[in-house]
Amino acid sequence: METEKQQAIAFSQLSKVFQNGTAALDRLNLTIEEGEFITFLGPSGCGKSTALRMAAGLEEPSTGAVNVFGRSPKDTIENTNDIAFVFQEPNLLPWRKVLDNVILPLELRGISKKEAREEGLRVLDMVGLKKYAKVFPRELSGGMKMRVSIARALAAKPKLLLMDEPFAALDEMTRQRLQLELLEIWEKEKTTILFVTHNVFEAVYLSTTIAVMSAGPGRLSSVIQVDLPRPRQSISRTDELFSAYVKKASDQLEDSLDEREDVS
Amino acid sequence: MSMTPAEAAGNHVTAKAEKVKKTKPVRETFKQYILGPVIAFVLFIALWQAVPALLGMPHYILPKPTDVISAAVSDGALLWEAVQITVFESVIGFLLSAVIGIAVSILLASSKIIERSIYPYAIILQTLPVVAVAPIVVIWFGAGFNAIVVVSFLIGFFPVISNTLMGLNSVDREKDDLFSLYNASKWQKMWKLRLPSAMPFIMAGLKISCTLSIVGAIVGEYVAGVGGGEGGLGYAITVSAIQVNTAFIFACAIAGALLGITFYLLISLLSNKILGSWHESAMKK
Ligand SMILES: Nc1ncnc2c1ncn2[C@@H]1O[C@H](COP(=O)(O)OP(=O)(O)OP(=O)(O)O)[C@@H](O)[C@H]1O
Ligand SMILES: [Mg+2]
Repeated sequence: METEKQQAIAFSQLSKVFQNGTAALDRLNLTIEEGEFITFLGPSGCGKSTALRMAAGLEEPSTGAVNVFGRSPKDTIENTNDIAFVFQEPNLLPWRKVLDNVILPLELRGISKKEAREEGLRVLDMVGLKKYAKVFPRELSGGMKMRVSIARALAAKPKLLLMDEPFAALDEMTRQRLQLELLEIWEKEKTTILFVTHNVFEAVYLSTTIAVMSAGPGRLSSVIQVDLPRPRQSISRTDELFSAYVKKASDQLEDSLDEREDVS
Repeated sequence: MSMTPAEAAGNHVTAKAEKVKKTKPVRETFKQYILGPVIAFVLFIALWQAVPALLGMPHYILPKPTDVISAAVSDGALLWEAVQITVFESVIGFLLSAVIGIAVSILLASSKIIERSIYPYAIILQTLPVVAVAPIVVIWFGAGFNAIVVVSFLIGFFPVISNTLMGLNSVDREKDDLFSLYNASKWQKMWKLRLPSAMPFIMAGLKISCTLSIVGAIVGEYVAGVGGGEGGLGYAITVSAIQVNTAFIFACAIAGALLGITFYLLISLLSNKILGSWHESAMKK
């Protein structure tokens, strides 16, 4: 009983066809255990964001279902504070200062201003932006805005963190630093993370599991368990085993692209 | 530090450009934005002064600028009194249209069904010539201050409503998702998301309605002006028209225009203060 982990997310036969007829996702079947760091890796338009949005209850499935911690996403959101989402864009409120943006989830829950501020400063410190607490978002660079957006999700103290290409717009240096920070947070807080990326290196470096997806319509094409030593900080990105995983993931990504070409 | 000649030249150019930039604002701004309008104004006044004199027009058809000024000065106390009354009426009319307009919009927008059913009428009512219903207002509220304020309120009310409603529905989808995701209630969304998002629209609505409120007050005075010498600009204009005191009508009209400009500038100032911290269109200009 103890060894059996609870399911964080269960996608079952989940499909989405938009009103305009676009088939974004086709019968996705996947279960994610609590504490996993799972990455959706796939070409643009394969339905990664759509799957994430359905897991967050922001979009209704056309057929099939998705469950989060054993209940519907809407249910989870209404009754618990377990889900946080980092959008593809920073999505900050321009009329709020950085700290006020970060504490928004806490404020909406009715947590006292003082307590919320303390927590806000703590997570801002984590992403290295404590001294920008009193600044408006427009005064920040794109990368800094993204970090604020991540801090906002962390402030919510979620059990499930959904991240939609959070590092795509960042320079390589910032990206690597944030990857490390994210891993540290994941290890410390025991959060389940569902992460979306185009970047094979990033997928291998971060994940316990990679779900490779193919487009048109979006399908899960294969699942790779990444069995690299932890903490990842200890391994080099040029390590042989690391490279082997990168190659494997790249090959499968390519196969999934071929599959699509065969179909069309 | 070593520099290639090209780099050095480049640096030199930027340094020079900066120097030019520093002196540019004062002189260039003066040339482009002040000198032109000032010349146009002087020419216009000169033309206005010359034409009636050349054509031998009597002052009650087209008074010269000097006639207007002397009328304004000789009846200065009357003009000042009228301006004060009109300001008072239009400020109250404007405040009512701002407060009631925003409040009604919030109530309408808080329910999709109500909003969908009423919004088309709010748009249609906006095109309703309030001037046409002004006499009805007088019948309902009686001649005098109340009716005038109501006309001023009505004329400024619809721009506020339609702009605010548009603004409350302009929230971007991702921001709305963010609030849904963190389980925000309908009213939390309203106060913390929709209203702030609507601010630029609301301000645009207030800018329109503040100048309209003066028009409303003057129109109100035309139809509901009170007798006994106590009246605003609209009343003063009506009386002067009967006396064929054309120069004084001009003075009143110009005073009304200046009031409108002042109102507009005040609201723009307020708008920049409120929006300055986040809205980009307020940053420029
Ligand atoms: N609201 C919508 N209405 C109609 N079609 C949509 C909508 N959202 C997404 N799509 C379509 O669904 C498909 C999948 O979109 P999705 O955003 O999930 O892709 P993605 O894998 O996240 O791509 P990217 O990596 O470029 O972000 C695309 O073909 C897209 O055009
Ligand atoms: Mg996407």
